[in-house]
Amino acid sequence: MPDGSFERPQQRQFNPYSENGGTILAIAGADFSVIAGDTRQSEGYSIQTRYAPKVFRLTERAVLAVNGFAADGNMFVKKVKQRLEWYRHAHAKDMPLRAIARLIQTMLYAQRFFPYYVYNILGGIEEDGTGAVYSFDPVGSYEREACRAAGAAQSLVQPFLDNQIYFKNQTPAPGTNHPTHLPLPDVLSIVIDSFTSATERHIEVGDGLEIYVVLAKGRSTQELASIGGLQELTTRAEGDRMFVVRRDLKKD
Amino acid sequence: MNSFADRFSTTGTAAELRRIKEYVAEDEEVADSMWGSEAGFGAMAHGAPNFMVPDVPDPAAFLRLHTDDHADPSCRIKIKHGTTTLAFRYKGGVVVAVDSRATAGSYVASGTVKKVIEINPYLLGTMAGGAADCQYWETYLGMQCRLHELRNRERISVAAASKYLSNLVYGYKGMGLSMGTMICGWDKTGPAIFYVDSDGTRLKGDLFSVGSGSTFAYGVLDQGYHWDLTDDEALELGRRSIYAAGHRDAFSGNTINLYHVQQQGWKFIGNYDVSEMHYNGPTGTQGYGYSIRTEGRSSANPPA
Amino acid sequence: MATASVFCSPGFDFSHEIRNNFLQERGVPLPKATSTGTTIVGCLFKDGIVLGADTRATEGPIVADKNCEKIHYITDSIRCCGAGTAADTEFTTAMISSNMELHALSTGRKPRVVTAMTMLKQYLFRYQGNVGAALVLGGVDATGPHLFTIHPHGSTDKLPYVTMGSGSLAAMAVFEAGWRPNMERADALALVTAAVSAGIFNDLGSGSNVDACVITASHTEMLRNYVRPNERVQKERSYGFRRGTTAWKKEDIRNMVVNEDITFTGAEAMDTS
Repeated sequence: MPDGSFERPQQRQFNPYSENGGTILAIAGADFSVIAGDTRQSEGYSIQTRYAPKVFRLTERAVLAVNGFAADGNMFVKKVKQRLEWYRHAHAKDMPLRAIARLIQTMLYAQRFFPYYVYNILGGIEEDGTGAVYSFDPVGSYEREACRAAGAAQSLVQPFLDNQIYFKNQTPAPGTNHPTHLPLPDVLSIVIDSFTSATERHIEVGDGLEIYVVLAKGRSTQELASIGGLQELTTRAEGDRMFVVRRDLKKD
Repeated sequence: MNSFADRFSTTGTAAELRRIKEYVAEDEEVADSMWGSEAGFGAMAHGAPNFMVPDVPDPAAFLRLHTDDHADPSCRIKIKHGTTTLAFRYKGGVVVAVDSRATAGSYVASGTVKKVIEINPYLLGTMAGGAADCQYWETYLGMQCRLHELRNRERISVAAASKYLSNLVYGYKGMGLSMGTMICGWDKTGPAIFYVDSDGTRLKGDLFSVGSGSTFAYGVLDQGYHWDLTDDEALELGRRSIYAAGHRDAFSGNTINLYHVQQQGWKFIGNYDVSEMHYNGPTGTQGYGYSIRTEGRSSANPPA
Repeated sequence: MATASVFCSPGFDFSHEIRNNFLQERGVPLPKATSTGTTIVGCLFKDGIVLGADTRATEGPIVADKNCEKIHYITDSIRCCGAGTAADTEFTTAMISSNMELHALSTGRKPRVVTAMTMLKQYLFRYQGNVGAALVLGGVDATGPHLFTIHPHGSTDKLPYVTMGSGSLAAMAVFEAGWRPNMERADALALVTAAVSAGIFNDLGSGSNVDACVITASHTEMLRNYVRPNERVQKERSYGFRRGTTAWKKEDIRNMVVNEDITFTGAEAMDTS
């Protein structure tokens, strides 16, 4: 109408969510854990940035990968880190991995009626020295698993992991069994191949790859010697060791 | 005055002030408990948790718009759904059997979900509907049950525990919680099962099945059930019923988790792969699948 | 066989469109068409036209074809780049291509670019945008070089440098910065490559390789995969499977060779004359 009013009732919707593409993935080994994510952040057909980390170091032995709506994800990681720091001040030690997992559940569930639009995967080393992966839904249901992919290309990557990690639809050779845990070089190869393949076939995946590797205390690092683009993040001399591998992915 | 007692009192000026502070909620959910251990009470220190609610006229409609309920799988935030769970009471206790599949729309989000929540050594809860709702509130129920034990020097009855949960979720009615659960356990009165859902329904009964595959499970369960089942027969019935649902319901399957509740508490019996059950069965000798029943009966199925 | 007499109104029948809209409202999803969420470009230079296109075809966020061909043949000296619904661009250009050939045969002249453009716009207008073809048409004829864009609803533009598809903004930015009148062939080709590359790297709907086509009065050169900046990387592992990996329920080996015994009976050979 001329006076600025409307002829009919207008409906408005509060839509604070967006989707920023990308994919994350984590695999647990016997005494290590690998957590990876691509670094492209997009909206629609546009690339917002070619380097936006989705994988974050929380403690000496815990890494969190966050995917979905980037604004929610970054805020969530910030709040998790804050709570972990408070825990350090109160207890003079890092929070154990299973406790971080439960903390993330309660933090996500606190937003049950206004959810964070994020899929979290937590990876690291448990107190008993085993590699672990915890995966979460946006409102906090979680479970410990051996491997998990989430994000835009999860439906491309997860079936591949099911086949290569869990040996789904593969019958072992007569008289043999599938291994329960794969060695670190095999896991790294599978992670890299997952991302190069996802980049080929999913438009929202690409640009860069960050792979965090957490090794249990006392474990040999020899297997990592031949890996290109490796950087050590360990800050304490004794204890678990953490590395990050950075690789380029296709940029188209 | 004793500051410790003051802090945890529910009456008096200090408590009143605390309640007002909570009501005003100056800095979001940053409670004192977040700074440290709160003398081991952790998140319990301030009673029931608070939830952040979007500042819109109808928060429930907001949530419905952005999260998928079963009818609309196109929404952004996928909440895991799809399930078959069952529990029944018989002479030898309670059998609880569930599948392990979680679906988000047509995607199988997980095939390894633990749908039996171990509330405490005597109580089990099952998960159907929203995975997070069941996991969170049944864990919370576990904490309350422990407090009940400490306060009253005896274990909580299944009836009381289930009623606690029922009352709790009823407080959130219409807000979008989604859970269909069976609280199973053994108390002074013997084995007990209560069905509790997010509508506020609470039913006592001998036999329940909940979830999208429940009709298939009931089919097997009803024809095989009687009170005087032996333990082995009862466990086999639970397993066979979940297999039937896993076989026929697209939203159920992967594996079966089987629990047995007796006077000394619950016991995990095992995890069984549904397709393994189809071809080879629990003992590896005879599968549940029907090829075994048709073999050699027609030219299409010649004798092996 | 007699057909039932049904009232047929004159003009076009959009009842299917009405039905589809109704079904969509009721929540029945329509089958997803492969779209060439694309960067297509064209520019004029001293001797003619250079057309360019990327080679990615998508279905939603999934890459359906990593090396499809988006520069379609119309006549020897006219080519057409297609964006939008892959099936629509392909069939529209193919149909116009045969009509142009027929037109050439009946008139005995080399057809003109405007003819193709008019045929395309009239065809697209008839379908009111329901044929989802966004085209860049270029070629050289008796009247000189011509470059057009044609939108799905049938409107057209005639410009010295054009871009279309989801990567059109990225590509146009390059054109606006770098295009000059009367460019040399090599400069024009480099500019088109840069424009398509801008789409390939900055638009998620476009990707893989650059196709180019240089059309001059005397010669048309189709430069398929002119630049390949996105070669597939080597995999870390080989994923062969051991024989016997797939479980089977039963094994049944049949002899597919039919043996026939031929017995000569000593009769005379058949008369086949």
